Amino acid sequence: MTIVAKDLVWGVRQKTIVADVSFTVAQGETLGLIGPNGSGKSSLLRLLAGLKQPQSGRVEILGQDIARVQRRELARQVAFVQQNAATDTNISVRDVVLLGRTPHRSALSGWTETDRAMVFAALERVDMTGHMAQPWQTLSGGERQRVHIARALAQTPQVMFLDEPTNHLDIHHQIEILRVVRDLKLTSVIALHDLNLAAMFCDRIVVLDGGTVRACGTPEAVLTHDLLRDVFRVEADVECASGYRPHIRFKAN
Amino acid sequence: MSIADHKEAGTGLLAVLLGIAMILLAISVALAAAIGDYSIGIDTVFLAVTNGLGLTTADIPPIEQSVVWDLRLSRALVAALAGAGLAICGVILQALLRNALAEPFVLGVSAGASTGAVAIIVLGIGAGSLSLSMGAFVGAFSAFAMVALLSNGATSGPNHTILAGVAASQLFNALTAYIVTTSGNAQQARDVMFWLLGSFGGVRWPDFQLLVIVVFLGLVICLLMARSLDAFTFGDEDAAALGVPVARIRLILFGVTAMVTATIVSMVGAIGFVGLVVPHAARYLVGPLHLRLLPASAAVGAIFLVLADIASRVVADQQTIPIGVVTAMVGVPFFAIILYRARPQQ
Amino acid sequence: MLTKSFALLVISAMLPVATAALAEPTTYPLTIQNCGQEVTFTKAPERTVALGHNSAEIMFMLGLEDRMAGTAFWPNKVMPELEAANAKVEVLTVEFPTLESVLSKQPDFVAAMIVTLMGPDSKVAKREDFDNLGIATYLSPTACTTVADTDNTSGSKATSVYGIRKNLWTMDLLYQEIDDLSRVFDVQDRGQVLIEDFKMREAKLRAEFAKREDLTFLFWFSSPSPADDAYLTGGNGPSAYIADILGGSNALKTESEWPALGWEGIMATNPTVIVAAQVDRARWGLDDAQNKIDFLTSDPAVSQMEAVKAGRIAVISGASMNPSINTIYGAEQLAEQLKTFDLE
Repeated sequence: MTIVAKDLVWGVRQKTIVADVSFTVAQGETLGLIGPNGSGKSSLLRLLAGLKQPQSGRVEILGQDIARVQRRELARQVAFVQQNAATDTNISVRDVVLLGRTPHRSALSGWTETDRAMVFAALERVDMTGHMAQPWQTLSGGERQRVHIARALAQTPQVMFLDEPTNHLDIHHQIEILRVVRDLKLTSVIALHDLNLAAMFCDRIVVLDGGTVRACGTPEAVLTHDLLRDVFRVEADVECASGYRPHIRFKAN
Repeated sequence: MSIADHKEAGTGLLAVLLGIAMILLAISVALAAAIGDYSIGIDTVFLAVTNGLGLTTADIPPIEQSVVWDLRLSRALVAALAGAGLAICGVILQALLRNALAEPFVLGVSAGASTGAVAIIVLGIGAGSLSLSMGAFVGAFSAFAMVALLSNGATSGPNHTILAGVAASQLFNALTAYIVTTSGNAQQARDVMFWLLGSFGGVRWPDFQLLVIVVFLGLVICLLMARSLDAFTFGDEDAAALGVPVARIRLILFGVTAMVTATIVSMVGAIGFVGLVVPHAARYLVGPLHLRLLPASAAVGAIFLVLADIASRVVADQQTIPIGVVTAMVGVPFFAIILYRARPQQ
Repeated sequence: MLTKSFALLVISAMLPVATAALAEPTTYPLTIQNCGQEVTFTKAPERTVALGHNSAEIMFMLGLEDRMAGTAFWPNKVMPELEAANAKVEVLTVEFPTLESVLSKQPDFVAAMIVTLMGPDSKVAKREDFDNLGIATYLSPTACTTVADTDNTSGSKATSVYGIRKNLWTMDLLYQEIDDLSRVFDVQDRGQVLIEDFKMREAKLRAEFAKREDLTFLFWFSSPSPADDAYLTGGNGPSAYIADILGGSNALKTESEWPALGWEGIMATNPTVIVAAQVDRARWGLDDAQNKIDFLTSDPAVSQMEAVKAGRIAVISGASMNPSINTIYGAEQLAEQLKTFDLE
């Protein structure tokens, strides 16, 4: 197993936000993380990526307890894409992606040909090579998110975590981004709001509710009428034609 | 498209720009050595400088030698270092606090310096063995310590840090006012005000010797962390995800900022606008990446402050106007231009 | 009365006989102790720059204007008696001067009034700047701050300027300055006369005005506006000295030398006499003494003060509330007006 989460507990002050969460992610798998607001998705994702420290439990990535791995070492294997990372600086696309090479370079060494090659390759994957010199402030939301993913790719990670990467994008870009992520040969965990998109693009889904795992399995297995009613408090029909991913039809009244 | 097409065409340009900057700086310093209330011919100025450097032993009047070498030259070089130092601190704070309006005095450093100075002047702390500068330095650093404490080692986010800086400024300003109004006399109040206003008049060679070490050390440390500073572009969490030891870097860089700013303030008082405007100007010239931005800011800051000091000396006859006035008068329109040109192209 | 003293001074200066017996001529080289530093003069200075009005005015009183090359720093106008002398000497600036402008006068002696003008933390000049060029320096004893001075080598009775004045201010520091400068310039006869004259005037005032427990003075320097807190003087500063010499005390018992107080607090002190300052700088309307008087007599609440109702409002120059030669003149101005008041 590439990622192993074991008995993770985390909270702020008196409140427990992640309670005894355990699951695994296989190599190359795309795992979807869904749950209502306040279920602890974001916090769990950060625990997995090593950005927060659990109060108890541990996370293993590629067989190593990440608490024992140096930050920089970890960043060479693990990339994290935020929801809506913003900046005021007018940095160029190329320089943004070049930031992804930070864990590979020490303070004093310059950028090498390898770095530039990685940057180019990353931009190719997200189809943004034509925008290399373009300043950040002139990009659209979808373009920015693609560049963020390119930056994560430039880290040449084995594992990628994405925190609701499609929230503010139009439907075309939502699908496009998720397709890119799915087609990467990486192990990835994506936190998502849109249940249908999760069904479309994830190999397996973990459902989080109140900090605990309510379900874990393939989209067909997890996305049932009862679960949607209990956890998400919606009435819905789930269509599951064979050979196709399940499709949720929400009921309005 | 090949990789070669996208190779950073910047390095050559950067070298040229820095070269130009050095020349401009040399010219500014030369101007500063030649201009002043005391009329001295250009040839004498030149000889005074070469005399001072030990290259010649020309026979010129001691007063003129002293004016050019001990007064003007040391003053110009300190102004250059102060400009560079304040600019670098501005760059760091704008990066770490992710706020384009951040500048060195946002951490309450100058308010702390004023309290330290006032404690020496009015309360007589140190019984005459502590100089005003030392008091100001201690005060400046105390303010920084308070900010670091309040904002939890500066790790609880930019907004917390800024608010802590505001709180520290208010507190130390209030302390200063309290001491002056309850214990001071008009003379002391005037002394403190004049001292704080920012002036290079009291600068001599020992100040240069201290400042050159502090500023160069600061610049070197910042350059070593330039890449980490870039990593902060999208915030602390992003930087951590890129493997940057966020808490450690923040603390070191805040420490460097406090050290450099406190030293400058204790030497020449509070000089506003340099730390705010120069990073923007430099960013406009060389872009936002810190490996270029830091040296560029240092260079622009140095030139700016040397020229501002010359201006403060020639504008009013036989009298020095506070340098803060000059930097504001230049800084504000400059800032307006930068803002206008950088407006979003939608 | 002021012109009479000045005439006395001039006449005395022309009769060396009576005073020569007290004052020996200076033998050069002369070394004096000044604020923890030894200063040596090989001859009487000929091109002096005086930094600060007090240092300048003392030199004018000693008739030294022909040996001066420039003056600087005049927050108040020069005393009327000394206007003629002042006109003969170039004023570099009324603000803080630049060191270069001072040096451009090619001075052989620089005398300073406060450490802000010449001192280790000064933005204008440090003593070493002049020492290195062989220019003699002198710092007024009222401004001494060196550690060595805790042994009182300058004979200073007040604490250093870096601290609160613990004892009542006296003219002694000024007498020391006059004495030092008269020795430096070899005009000791004039110096002695000046000192004796001041001492005589001091003594005269003390004799004339017996100590009274019930006599208090309120010294009002100025206010930004009638509604604002007023800037008064208190503590152990020059105004306390003036009050003491005239047999009274300051209505304010605070230690602070320049306290600000609202009118309600002022009325509560119920002073016997209100002393309004005539401040020349004309920054605020109430700088002018007449405006002060108008306010005191017309404000519904303030005009009810006993001192105002009894017409016990006096006017003295604002400069005299600063520690300087002006102070004794201020005392005399106040004395004259005090005599016309009914103090019962």
